[in-house]
Amino acid sequence: MAESGSDVHSLSPDRFLEEVHSFEFWFHAVEGYLSATRFGRRPQTQEAPLSESERDRLITVLCHYCVGETAALEASSGLIAIAPNRLAKVFLATQVVDEGRHLEVLLHRLQDLGVTEPEQEIERRATGSLLAFKRRLLELVEGRDWEAAIFAQNVILESLEFTVFQAHAETADPVTRDVLQGIVKDERRHIGFGENELGRRLKVSPHVRARLAAVRHELDPLVLASCDETMAQLGTPPAERPEIGRSYLAAVHRLGFA
Amino acid sequence: MADFLSAYSIQYWLESCPQGYLEDTEYGHAPGETEPALLLDDPQLRQQSIRTTVQLVVGERCALAASSGLINAAPDEASKRYLATQTLDEARHVEIFTQRLYDLGVKKTELEDVLREHANPNLVKFAEVLLEKVDKKDFVAGVVGQNIVLEGMAFTVFEMLHAGVKGVNPKFAHTLSGTIADERRHVGFGENRIGSLIKEHPEKKPEIERMQRDMSYYMLATFADAFRRAPDAAERKRLAQDLGGRPEASWHGVDLATADPKDMEQALADTVLKEFKTRLGRIGIEYQSPVRP
Repeated sequence: MAESGSDVHSLSPDRFLEEVHSFEFWFHAVEGYLSATRFGRRPQTQEAPLSESERDRLITVLCHYCVGETAALEASSGLIAIAPNRLAKVFLATQVVDEGRHLEVLLHRLQDLGVTEPEQEIERRATGSLLAFKRRLLELVEGRDWEAAIFAQNVILESLEFTVFQAHAETADPVTRDVLQGIVKDERRHIGFGENELGRRLKVSPHVRARLAAVRHELDPLVLASCDETMAQLGTPPAERPEIGRSYLAAVHRLGFA
Repeated sequence: MADFLSAYSIQYWLESCPQGYLEDTEYGHAPGETEPALLLDDPQLRQQSIRTTVQLVVGERCALAASSGLINAAPDEASKRYLATQTLDEARHVEIFTQRLYDLGVKKTELEDVLREHANPNLVKFAEVLLEKVDKKDFVAGVVGQNIVLEGMAFTVFEMLHAGVKGVNPKFAHTLSGTIADERRHVGFGENRIGSLIKEHPEKKPEIERMQRDMSYYMLATFADAFRRAPDAAERKRLAQDLGGRPEASWHGVDLATADPKDMEQALADTVLKEFKTRLGRIGIEYQSPVRP
């Protein structure tokens, strides 16, 4: 493992992958921002009062997030079986526990907000576009399509969550902000894995790009619809919602998969 | 169920494992600890350590495939989240035992060949029986196979190995003690979660009992192969002295330094099977004596 404080980017490509896909790297990365939290919340963060309608809208949004995180948990665990090498398997195992933690902290937040049966509430408030996205993602995993499934999960879903959670954190109550900011830090790592894994494959197999474009063409409408539904619940004015959608599209574009 | 599963939350896992007994470790041992020089210099001893470690990697790869595969089959969110922690535990075990192979001089480019060359065929069959249940998304059978049979075996084997090396190889002993702590948690989940599911699905008992019988057979066959290759008592005692450690290493009433390999094999098999009987009894499954499938 790299010396503490040394720059992993100075390592050779093979050594870099060995390092950043390891349990050791994950542990040191999360230790920095999770060690002083419980269920994603810093002890000094105080609850801010919410009106009944604000509380209800927040519950709906958190239920949407739980659907996305459950999809990510089930997909990342399923991907371990088809990962092409040990390093990818170990990285995905760290992602599995990250996704499980996201689900746990969101469920815990729902309980804070007075939801006694979170699982039923999630089922009741889930949107059709998110459920359709989840179904399609798990089909790609079941079909053992490594590139398409990694693209759908670590690029599309993670970029969506990254964009929406960041936007939400800016206006969220303090406790929800803590929870979302901790999640966003993990998403960066997951997007990095997807970008690196697919980037290397596209170099040697450029034809994969066309297949990924088809996957994106199929999933983008679902992503944009769920983005819009969540923003509506957050009270984002309709005029500003396309901006969030554009941020998501720009995030995917930056990764080179436009 | 909800209360019991709260003890298996990711928050609890973070506090007790990465921020608890793994704090300040590197690949499971204290930073700077190395394998004893004699073990690296003696070709026969090094080869024997590689062979033993290969079986640990094979077992942990199976556990990683099984625990991750069971997440999608889990009937509730809390079990999925618990299995997420177990998935990462197993991945860590794969990583630290693979690292030990590198520490023993295996080149990264040769890893898969070394694993293929030394993996015990009976251990591979043991894994196949379990992974067949996981592939069918059979949660109840999968958890019994993984968290009671596989983890029960691993727990006892690691304890025996730990007792054997703690006086002569602190690095490997520390690596093992972290995995033993993990396995204890996994076995606990299996017992606590599956009991109620077996009560709900009594029709699954015969199939699960068959699986346990087959897995136990391949486990005993693996032990027999391993101890057949083990050095005799005089050789082990000499090695322990050369390594500068205490020659005595008692485990379940057996002196691992002086016992005949046959007696060690018997002690290990008896201990694991006794544990199986106890744990299976707790979840309402009748232990089956191993028979060749």
